[in-house]
Amino acid sequence: MTGKTGAASGALYLHLIVLAIVIVSELIGIQRLPIGIGTVIFLPILYAFALGILVNPAIFKASAKFLSRDAVKLSSAMITVAIMPFIAKFGTTVGPQISKIIEAGPALVLQELGNLGTILVAFPVAVFLLKMGREAVGATYSIDREPNLALIADKYGLNSPEGAGAMGVYATGTLIGTFVFAIMPPIVHGLGIFDVRALAMSCGVGSGSMLAACTGGLVAAVPDQKDIILALAAASNILTYATGLYVGMFVALPLTEWLYNKARPSERRAQA
Amino acid sequence: MANQTNTSANYADDLALNAEDERKIDVVGHAGLLLIACAIGLIANWVGTGTSPLTALPGMATLYVACIIGLALARFVPFYLPGVAWVSLIAILITIPGVPGAAWVSEKVEHLNFLALATPALAYGGLALTASEFAIARRSGWKIVIVAICVMVGTYMGSVVVADLFLRLGQ
Repeated sequence: MTGKTGAASGALYLHLIVLAIVIVSELIGIQRLPIGIGTVIFLPILYAFALGILVNPAIFKASAKFLSRDAVKLSSAMITVAIMPFIAKFGTTVGPQISKIIEAGPALVLQELGNLGTILVAFPVAVFLLKMGREAVGATYSIDREPNLALIADKYGLNSPEGAGAMGVYATGTLIGTFVFAIMPPIVHGLGIFDVRALAMSCGVGSGSMLAACTGGLVAAVPDQKDIILALAAASNILTYATGLYVGMFVALPLTEWLYNKARPSERRAQA
Repeated sequence: MANQTNTSANYADDLALNAEDERKIDVVGHAGLLLIACAIGLIANWVGTGTSPLTALPGMATLYVACIIGLALARFVPFYLPGVAWVSLIAILITIPGVPGAAWVSEKVEHLNFLALATPALAYGGLALTASEFAIARRSGWKIVIVAICVMVGTYMGSVVVADLFLRLGQ
């Protein structure tokens, strides 16, 4: 009998809890922790995510009284909805900078291929250092956000070893991705080697929260370059939305497969 | 072993991936949810930057309209591009200098802090994680955590190196 009113109050509680979390997170604001090689920057989005996890009914049993399974489902749908105004705001930073974006055009387009760097770094670690099996293919071929996960699901199924690897990185990325992307760019900037425009355009990896963390950290480190940082990151993120799936399908996944077969020729014989 | 495969298939059901096919977006239903998201966004902006919601309202209303048009395009245009990509394209279009109203839009959205607008989404994100997602992360173990960090660092640094190289070549 709790049917409709139960669902409605669950939804109301959800939005009110989010409102409370948002207010607390924004009150804490951006915090900086200087370390030797740079500055670790803590952003309100990090606190919001952490507080959300703390109140999550799967972690904090008492909140199951307020947040039903349906409310948790609604929360999942709300992520995509709530990120939209952020994405729109991000887009509006591109227009005024359009001539500078076109100037950086070749770098902007080609750095999309730089995303293959995951294979360069993560594949050897997974296969040679950690001795992982075919999980490594799904885990390391891309940053494993939703479109990449869909590709793995389509090709191998999510209950395959490749699927387990991809889902593992997906879940881990969901849990710690915001944190990693908030602290990495300011530290890399601190090295003083790379053009801040290069650091900015690399923020577009196809995930709204990683984009927010990455640009947030970078803007906090280099506030006077804010406009161009936002514009380049937004432009590159759109490019990733448009090209990410195809790069994964036609370049990254075949390349990772090929590397795996080279690295473990015996397994290939056993399969055949 | 068979048992384990079975549970990971069940986990997959809970992942956002299977949540909804963008081609079937219910634009009207989303319009209401988006209104809630924008309201919370205005408050985040207020607390974070001290800009009153009234000052920020015209900018937020503009973003709201851009989102709705973007969602509608994702729904009705006969080739696939995600809703967020459409939303971005519209937002870019209405701020390119020379486009009617571009200066007005740029001035109004300036009252909105980009990072504050992401805070509500992350709060929903933390609350939306299911027991199975925590379980996947736990079960995958420390090896996957190391690999995931390498994946993120590799993806980012790969782009940084390529971008930096071509920016230098372009000078």
